[in-house]
Amino acid sequence: MTNASGVEEQTLTLPSEQEVEKLRAAEATWSLSFTLNGESVELMVDPTETLYDTLRERLRLIGTKGACLEGECGSCTVLLDGKPVTACLVTSPQVQGRTVVTVEGLAKDDRLHPVQESFIACGAVQCGYCTPGLIVSAAALLAHNSTPSVEEVREALEGNLCRCTGYTKIIDAVLEAAGDEPAVMSVGGEK
Amino acid sequence: MTDTLYYQPKSVDEALQIKAELGAEGTFLAGGTDVVVGIRKGKLKVARTIDLSQVPGLDGIRRHDGFLEIGAMTTHKALEQHDVPAALAQSCETVGGPQIRYLGTVGGQIGTASPAGDVSVALIALKADVELRSAARGTRRLPLDEVFVGPGKTVIADDEMVTRVFVPLGRRSDFYKIGKRDAVAISLVMAAASVGPAGDVAIAIGCVAPVPLRIKRAEALLDARGLSDEAVDEAATIAREDCSPISDHRGGADYRRAMAGTLTKRLLSRLREVTPVKAKPAESSAEVA
Ligand SMILES: Cc1cc2nc3c(=O)[nH]c(=O)nc-3n(C[C@H](O)[C@H](O)[C@H](O)COP(=O)(O)OP(=O)(O)OC[C@H]3O[C@@H](n4cnc5c(N)ncnc54)[C@H](O)[C@@H]3O)c2cc1C
Ligand code: FES
Ligand code: FES
Repeated sequence: MTNASGVEEQTLTLPSEQEVEKLRAAEATWSLSFTLNGESVELMVDPTETLYDTLRERLRLIGTKGACLEGECGSCTVLLDGKPVTACLVTSPQVQGRTVVTVEGLAKDDRLHPVQESFIACGAVQCGYCTPGLIVSAAALLAHNSTPSVEEVREALEGNLCRCTGYTKIIDAVLEAAGDEPAVMSVGGEK
Repeated sequence: MTDTLYYQPKSVDEALQIKAELGAEGTFLAGGTDVVVGIRKGKLKVARTIDLSQVPGLDGIRRHDGFLEIGAMTTHKALEQHDVPAALAQSCETVGGPQIRYLGTVGGQIGTASPAGDVSVALIALKADVELRSAARGTRRLPLDEVFVGPGKTVIADDEMVTRVFVPLGRRSDFYKIGKRDAVAISLVMAAASVGPAGDVAIAIGCVAPVPLRIKRAEALLDARGLSDEAVDEAATIAREDCSPISDHRGGADYRRAMAGTLTKRLLSRLREVTPVKAKPAESSAEVA
């Protein structure tokens, strides 16, 4: 097909959802079981895919974001046995038998995690892309240290990039959330 | 053996057997911070992955016989949180951000053999040894600086793995890194130095040669003459002479060469100032060095 200016137009055909599902299933040769946000999960994965892919593509937990996929930006941060790690660098078979908590797993019943509350209250969110990763990193810090100094907050968030806010309100939000009792702050899964 | 591309051994012996069968085809996966990034960037071709995450007994830190024994799967974060020599703790603190330090391991740092490996530089300056193990030949132990032969190249055989690192206790040490920013930045230049209970000095510099560079000529001079002002100045000159830096997007060769001298002088001056700790003397590392 040629358009008005004489340039060849490309028609782009995307594979249907069923076709995508079929492709993914064919690659899924590895049986994986782990604890995700408090529940045990069993599923088949491609052993070379990352936890980031498994969470988003197979389990449809899209709270975990990805930007660089090279460990640089922290937007894919999740808790592995209670510790913040970049899900884009973890292969899925590595989490066999372990505990993963994503941003979706931080709220308890109908109550948001205190860090989530304070991010809203302090206006620590602009475009929001970095927010889930930052909240997970902050929650990991507060689970151990309920009264961090500004310096400790900065250090804990060192591996998370935000291109919008300039970090001031993010740090305010974490300090604001600090001081809640340990039970509220517990993130689970720690070894 | 089946034709799987991904292996998850449950013991060191099983891991070594798989590695022996796969040889260069098999790539160990520890924290994945280099392997996964390398695959993603298209810089690393991995035919078969040997995932060490389910192998018990490869991590952990213990004091034994005058040495700190560090398991290959010990993470940078675990070292940072443990009572380890100053240069080692400081080098671990500067690796990536927290998420990278919770994943990245000592074994992976050595396997990567990067001239910019902060922890490798600190370990060399602490006169650390590495234990390598294979199914066929058991273990051998050699000084870490003899392991690296070029960027990404080591003397580790195709059927071997790093099992432990031995750091002699009782050495005073210090580390200094220059990077583009404070966090998640690969070093532009970095260096570490240590002084042993008997006054022997070790110096290593990163990002100034194809391997983390031990400055043996300067060490010999300082061992003979002590840490006098003149000897320290001469050691700094030797450090500048013995390095062979390149220019890249992080910095120029001239700058790196100059900094090799500056950091050598700074570290040695700082080590001289600190009052010697009453350290438990290390069992002589000469027997293995
Ligand atoms: C965002 C980011 C920032 C970083 N910043 C720094 C930094 O500031 N300073 C720095 O020094 N590094 C840095 N790194 C690099 C990296 O974190 C380290 O080199 C780390 O120590 C590698 O360990 P790993 O367990 O992740 O290794 P992996 O990626 O799992 O493995 C690395 C190599 O070692 C081999 N290997 C692993 N374990 C063994 C073993 N037991 N025996 C033999 N071979 C083995 C693997 O086959 C592979 O070739 C950074 C990486 C990222 C992604
Ligand atoms: S997407 Fe994982 S660190 Fe950037
Ligand atoms: S709010 Fe946009 S990147 Fe942080």
